[in-house]
Amino acid sequence: MDNDLKNICKPKNFKFIFKTYAKDLKRFLYFKFNDLETAEDVMQDAFIKLWKNCDRVSFETAKSYLFTVGNNLFINIKKHEQVIRKNKYRHTKNTTNESPEFLLIEKEFLTKIENAIADLSPKQREVFLLSRIEKKKYREIAILLDISVKAVEKRMHGALLKMRKITDLNS
Amino acid sequence: MNCFTNDNMKIKNTNIENEFYLSQWIEGNLADTELKKLVSEDDFLAYKKLKKGIEVFCDLEQPLDTSFERILHRMDKKTKIRKLHLKWIASIAAMLLFFMGFYALINNNSVLNKSSFGEQKTIALLDNSKVILNAKSALNYSKKGWKNKREVFLNGEAFFQVEKGSTFTVKTKNGNITVLGTQFNVKSTDTFFEVICYEGKVRVVHNNKEYILNPTNSFRKINKNPIESLNYSRKKPTWTLGESTYRSVPLKYVIEDLEKQFNIQINSAKINNSSIYTGSFNHHKMDLAFKSVFDAMGLKYNKTASNIYILDN
Repeated sequence: MDNDLKNICKPKNFKFIFKTYAKDLKRFLYFKFNDLETAEDVMQDAFIKLWKNCDRVSFETAKSYLFTVGNNLFINIKKHEQVIRKNKYRHTKNTTNESPEFLLIEKEFLTKIENAIADLSPKQREVFLLSRIEKKKYREIAILLDISVKAVEKRMHGALLKMRKITDLNS
Repeated sequence: MNCFTNDNMKIKNTNIENEFYLSQWIEGNLADTELKKLVSEDDFLAYKKLKKGIEVFCDLEQPLDTSFERILHRMDKKTKIRKLHLKWIASIAAMLLFFMGFYALINNNSVLNKSSFGEQKTIALLDNSKVILNAKSALNYSKKGWKNKREVFLNGEAFFQVEKGSTFTVKTKNGNITVLGTQFNVKSTDTFFEVICYEGKVRVVHNNKEYILNPTNSFRKINKNPIESLNYSRKKPTWTLGESTYRSVPLKYVIEDLEKQFNIQINSAKINNSSIYTGSFNHHKMDLAFKSVFDAMGLKYNKTASNIYILDN
């Protein structure tokens, strides 16, 4: 019976594993690929592979399995795109004010963003999260918080001004 | 550059600055080119990186319910595709087997003899041995090397009259029978296996064990029951004369044979089809056959379509 509880082939357990590790895995993959879409796709791929092998992977080793699979997928894809990526990198070096797709978001930078959000005033943070994460329009936020649209804009502007400080491009 | 806006003033194009331009810009309501005019180059790059970092942050923070749905959908699609592939493979395999059989037939090396519903077929083998097939049975053998190795494959029921000569082997799903020159009956379906020796000596191999049968001896293995050995004092199986005889056989097998003889379907879901039957039925008159089987077992039957019958108590 104990085995039953830990059997990943049971949908309940599989979903639990997903809820526990999916976000971290996607994050891990993002810093490998530096692309959100690819990170999402490969994260899904890893879970699908876990499901295919659900009778061969134990509950306890599911996390390392997922990350290993993800990493291997990354290595395979990287090999395939190596030349193209080299070109991209050269491109970025020469033209710093070109399209921002080539700006790499490092792990440290993301941590700085998280910290910066935590350092915002509660009013600014509230507007910031409602706008960026919940994807609400300023008009909607104004109604939600019972303030004017201008007040919403002011808080967002202030938040971004504050967060500007974390960026230091003098590398 | 610093301009003031009035709450009452509408923002026209991008010529009029908004006091809170960053909030407009992050929403996408202010173009990069316009922001460049409002801030230093360093600041502009900083804001660009910040914007991207925020996008990444927000995406990674999103709840992953849609991701999970997508995974389920993809897994489901894969199973559907796999099932589709299996169907493909199965039909291709079936086609291949058909062609192989056809090719073999054309090549004249492999011979397949089949009897249909209610049909008895007499087959003469290359060495003058004779085989009588009962209804819905199949016999298959290769002409090549027949003289040296006489080997046939049987599914269903057949009465063999084998000429004396080299070893004659009947291969069935349930076991093999070897003789030198004898007369014997073999019945082999999914879970029913019976060999009756009428003349000579018969060697039955079943589950790696060997059994020797003399005239009137028989070997019988029904499903998971233990092996039985009944004595049959006749010279020939009765079915070759148009009457099927049973001794302590579960009703389900009698029903199967009725279906094969009369080309009908009998639904026995409502009755106990493992009750034991001893008796016989006539191949040519169905109502008589039904009487001797069902009446004897105290069963009623109802006709629901042209050839479908349902049994009841």
